Amino acid sequence: MTDDHDPHDETRPDPFPVPDPASPFPPLEEGRTVWAAPAGDADAAPVGEPVPSDPPSDWNAGADAHDLPTLEHRLSALHRFAFPPAPPLDDEGVAARDRRWTSRTIVLLTLFMLVFNAASLQNWSRQQAPGWLSSTVQQLSDVWSEQVAQLGADQPRTAVRDTYEAARDERFIGQDPAAS
Amino acid sequence: MLFPTLAFGVFFLFVYFTSWSLDRENGRRKLFLLLASWFFYAQWDWRFVGLLILSAVLNWGVAAAIARSDDGGRRKWLVGLGVAFNLLVLGFFKYYGFFIEQAGELLSQFGWGRDLPLLQVILPVGISFFTFQGISYVVDVHRRKTPVARSLLDVMLLMSFFPHLVAGPIVRASDLLPQFDRTPRLTREMATHGLLLIVWGLFKKTVIASELSVRLVDPVFFDPSAYGSLDMIAAVYGYAVQIYCDFSAYSDMAIGIAALLGYSFPRNFDQPYRAGSMQSFWRRWHISLSSWLRDYLYVPLGGGRKGLVSSSLNVFITMVLGGLWHGAAWTFLAWGALHGGVQVVERIGRAAFGDRRVIHPVLGVLITFHIVCLGWILFRAENFDMAMQVLIGLGRWWQPMVMVTPLLLTLIVGGLAMHWLPPRAIEGVAERLKTAPSVTLALLLGVAFLLVEAVRPDGVAPFIYFQF
Repeated sequence: MTDDHDPHDETRPDPFPVPDPASPFPPLEEGRTVWAAPAGDADAAPVGEPVPSDPPSDWNAGADAHDLPTLEHRLSALHRFAFPPAPPLDDEGVAARDRRWTSRTIVLLTLFMLVFNAASLQNWSRQQAPGWLSSTVQQLSDVWSEQVAQLGADQPRTAVRDTYEAARDERFIGQDPAAS
Repeated sequence: MLFPTLAFGVFFLFVYFTSWSLDRENGRRKLFLLLASWFFYAQWDWRFVGLLILSAVLNWGVAAAIARSDDGGRRKWLVGLGVAFNLLVLGFFKYYGFFIEQAGELLSQFGWGRDLPLLQVILPVGISFFTFQGISYVVDVHRRKTPVARSLLDVMLLMSFFPHLVAGPIVRASDLLPQFDRTPRLTREMATHGLLLIVWGLFKKTVIASELSVRLVDPVFFDPSAYGSLDMIAAVYGYAVQIYCDFSAYSDMAIGIAALLGYSFPRNFDQPYRAGSMQSFWRRWHISLSSWLRDYLYVPLGGGRKGLVSSSLNVFITMVLGGLWHGAAWTFLAWGALHGGVQVVERIGRAAFGDRRVIHPVLGVLITFHIVCLGWILFRAENFDMAMQVLIGLGRWWQPMVMVTPLLLTLIVGGLAMHWLPPRAIEGVAERLKTAPSVTLALLLGVAFLLVEAVRPDGVAPFIYFQF
């Protein structure tokens, strides 16, 4: 049995454990023995020459400060547990979300018009041919218009209409005034 | 059922929510939209729904037969049959009375007067639009520019889809059939753009067009001899603004309604009064009709391939027939001839001077606009006598101005000034608003709708292009 094997050959198992010459602890300032590797051989025996070197550290260059754990509020943790975030939306999900957004807009717009433009509903119902349905719609629209008028919701429409009609009645100098 | 009415609003809300609730099965969704379109059309006259169905079935059958045939002669014969059928439908309902009347007068002049079979034919609303769509479908299948529709349902919906049914834009099969093949998607861009187009169209139609029509144009054109030149000039400019705001409003609303249902229609107007030449005007005015006339009339006639004389003749014929498409009257023919004649002059000018700029662009815009206004007099007048009365009235300087008010003048100036807005202003605003919360957008749109509703008259006149 010879011992002239290549120490770097990792495929060959060593018969005996080899002590690691590098200390896991930083060297002491006083009376320390500095282990310095000769050029070309990191695992060589230590020499007596003191070589300044940085103390070993657990610094990880690939780490990011945002990866560090932060203190989370318990309620936030509970919320995250109770309502875990949804996976990112696929095309179908995006389409459904956009459709909901549009539908919400249309519904809100309709409600806005029902409140602030109730007079149009009333006018329209009065123009329909007489019948059971149209008279019911007319009564409902009359009641609705009165209710929103009590809240003052008809004021913006009335104000704009009055201003527009005043502008319509304006005449150039020398023209006959508008017929009332 | 007109777009700017509450009845249509209720109808549209029902169609919107029901159609999107059916979006998991595209066939059922299309069937629902077809039934809704027939219901919409039946509000004018339910009897003509049958005509719409018959037209769609025949176009579908002819196109399917063309697609199945590899024999060139047979394909030509079939496409001829399809085009002839569509023209026959259009001719009977739209031109029968006109031609019989003209024939009677002609025979009387030669002393051969006869009692010709005059019929009171009711003109189905939108017939010019759906027959042109039928022709384009059959011809495109023949030219192999568009594949044959997968089903009769697709062809029926193509021709009957309610946003474009009665006054365009003329949406071609190659634009719409691929959209019918897949379940449509509604994006925020489409929705915002569609809603803005609807409110913008509502403003143009119910405020500008209605006000100008009722308070200026209709009274002046009813009795042109009673008004002086300032009123007459204002009425002519007013009609130019009115017809633009009326027709482009319909197109805007149609595009917006289709967008909210997930379909994309082509643009139909592009600030036409900015045009510096008549050719440019027709690239901006009723684009779907002008491109239709180019592809299915001007090009088959020979287009510009055979020299200046031939191309000039072809463009003149195309414009005259385009005028006749608008209505069965000599005034429409004269209107088409005016537009065709000016385009011929422009072609000769380009042949003589090349690309050199002969007149200043601003002058070009002014000249083009006033030629267009001259055409609108023919277009609006019921006959040549009335058109002459309007032209004579333009020189009646001594009469005071009685019809024009500050508001009407503002509307005319505003209607013309909107042509100098940024070309894609609505799209730009939509792009900014698409990220807004739905509450914000609803509030903004609500205020806009409320402003329009507050100032509009209680009733609304039908769109001008319904009669075509």
